Amino acid sequence: MRRQVPLILCFVFGIVMIFTQFIPHSSSQSLHQEVRQWYLIIFPFALVFSTITLIRTHITRIRRRTEHWQYSFILFVGILIMVVIGIPFGPQNPVFEWLFNNIQVPMDATMFSLLAFFIASAAYRAFRARTLEASLLLITALIVMLGNVPVGDLIWNTVFAWLPWEDSASGMKQWILDNPNLSARRGIILGISLGVISQSIRIILGIERSYLGGGD
Amino acid sequence: MKKIIHCFIVYLVLCIGISTAFSQGLAPPSNVTAVDTPNDDGSSITVKWDAAPEDSGISGYQILRRIAGGGLEEIGALLPAGTVTYVDSNIEKGSTYAYIVRAVTETEATVDSEETAPAKGTGEWFHTGKIPLFIAMIAFSIAIVMSIYQARSGEEVFIRRIPGLEAVNEAIGRATEMGRSILYVLGLGDVSGPATIASMNILGQVARRTADYETPLHVPCNDPIVMNVVREMVRTAYLNEGRPDSYNEDNIFFLTDSQFAYAAGVDGIMLREKPAAIFLQGTFFAESLILAETGNSIGAIQIAGTDSEHQLPFLITACDYTLIGEELYTASAYLSQEPMLLGSIRGQDWGKVIIFAVIMLGVILELAGVSWITTLLQRVS
Repeated sequence: MRRQVPLILCFVFGIVMIFTQFIPHSSSQSLHQEVRQWYLIIFPFALVFSTITLIRTHITRIRRRTEHWQYSFILFVGILIMVVIGIPFGPQNPVFEWLFNNIQVPMDATMFSLLAFFIASAAYRAFRARTLEASLLLITALIVMLGNVPVGDLIWNTVFAWLPWEDSASGMKQWILDNPNLSARRGIILGISLGVISQSIRIILGIERSYLGGGD
Repeated sequence: MKKIIHCFIVYLVLCIGISTAFSQGLAPPSNVTAVDTPNDDGSSITVKWDAAPEDSGISGYQILRRIAGGGLEEIGALLPAGTVTYVDSNIEKGSTYAYIVRAVTETEATVDSEETAPAKGTGEWFHTGKIPLFIAMIAFSIAIVMSIYQARSGEEVFIRRIPGLEAVNEAIGRATEMGRSILYVLGLGDVSGPATIASMNILGQVARRTADYETPLHVPCNDPIVMNVVREMVRTAYLNEGRPDSYNEDNIFFLTDSQFAYAAGVDGIMLREKPAAIFLQGTFFAESLILAETGNSIGAIQIAGTDSEHQLPFLITACDYTLIGEELYTASAYLSQEPMLLGSIRGQDWGKVIIFAVIMLGVILELAGVSWITTLLQRVS
């Protein structure tokens, strides 16, 4: 019974939600909206529960003195400050906004900016011309990179001045993006779409049960 | 005397307006119709009229509406010249409306069309524009269900080797031998995302193996609902394998729902715990490379899988194995090797064959100057 109930619910709601996509009538659309709102009702409860697990995890870290346990204190201080200011005064409070804009936003930006260095290290590994595929990747990447900057066309027009085609670095880049790149992307998207439908049918029909922990 | 002057001014203004209209040959908008907008929930009425000739002098159109038994009211802003359709989405369901289309010139002379027959917004019970999509969905579903039943009857289903999935056992085995943990990252998707569901399905299979090998499995979550579902899933997987004592609830925890804070948190776990195997499965955005490169730097075996096609190049570069797009959705079937699940993958392949055939047919017909497949697909989209 513990297994049958989720499977029946999944089947019924799966079929109903598919049909709401084909029925524009207001009763069908309001049912669709209603079911989506249930998700919003579940979310706050799940959030409270998750926050408790977060606090419990860090209390355990402090108690066990695991590596870098001191940072867990900073987490508690952060939670405390934001809760004390945020709950009574709301997110529009100037102090709350100041903390968000001057602590959270710069820290997010710092993490994001690390991406530039990671791209450089990943590109170095990917573009080493060890195999035919890697060499092709390197040449394509060079063309796309040169085509993206104005100096690319300047180099082309200087080095290949004798050719009848001007500004072809950006032209070649665009051709690569519009043809081989776009074709591959669309192929992947088609595969993904069919995969999603196939997975949905498996779940709706109760054939795929891994999300219930596997087994029969 | 005042009355006479007042009447004279009104008469003069009317004369100027009418003479301007006639001097420019301004004809009223013709064939004006108001009908219930097809394939909607009954919340709009579409007004249509014929296009005026280019030299008509019309600079725009103003729509006037009359609710049954009421007076005329202007609705919406002035529509530009050349407009031939107006969708009135501000109607009350069940009420009847009639419309007049007023042509306006640059000199602000106006001429009204005849009032349309009354129209009422009615909700439809089937979206006729989605019939081809509905047929395609039914056909594809039948192909999958038939393949599943064929597989159920004992017919062997061949699935090509997917190196990324073959490596799952290797990764878990490696972590077990090294006595280190496994880190499973579900990405930033919420529980309604297909990629997150696919990722949870793979996690179900991974959890069964880690339960068998008694290898610690850490799952930092970005979404509270995902965390709760995953906890229940992994707990059931451990129970099914007869190892409830090996299940540690604290290993599946909520980190944060902020994108880069999550990336920082997961990076921290990677650097502190040094897991031997890392699974990056689900929906990823800009943080994908931050996670994958950190995992690479600690020497963990990394198996990634995503349907975010923009992140695929990053994951392919930084991870040992990457499940590309649809492979993510076949992973659960591939890992479980259950015939019925494998059968659905064959059905999926039939769908691809049909789409490929339609694309080829469309290309050939386009080359021959026939574009009905293109038109049909454009209409569906």
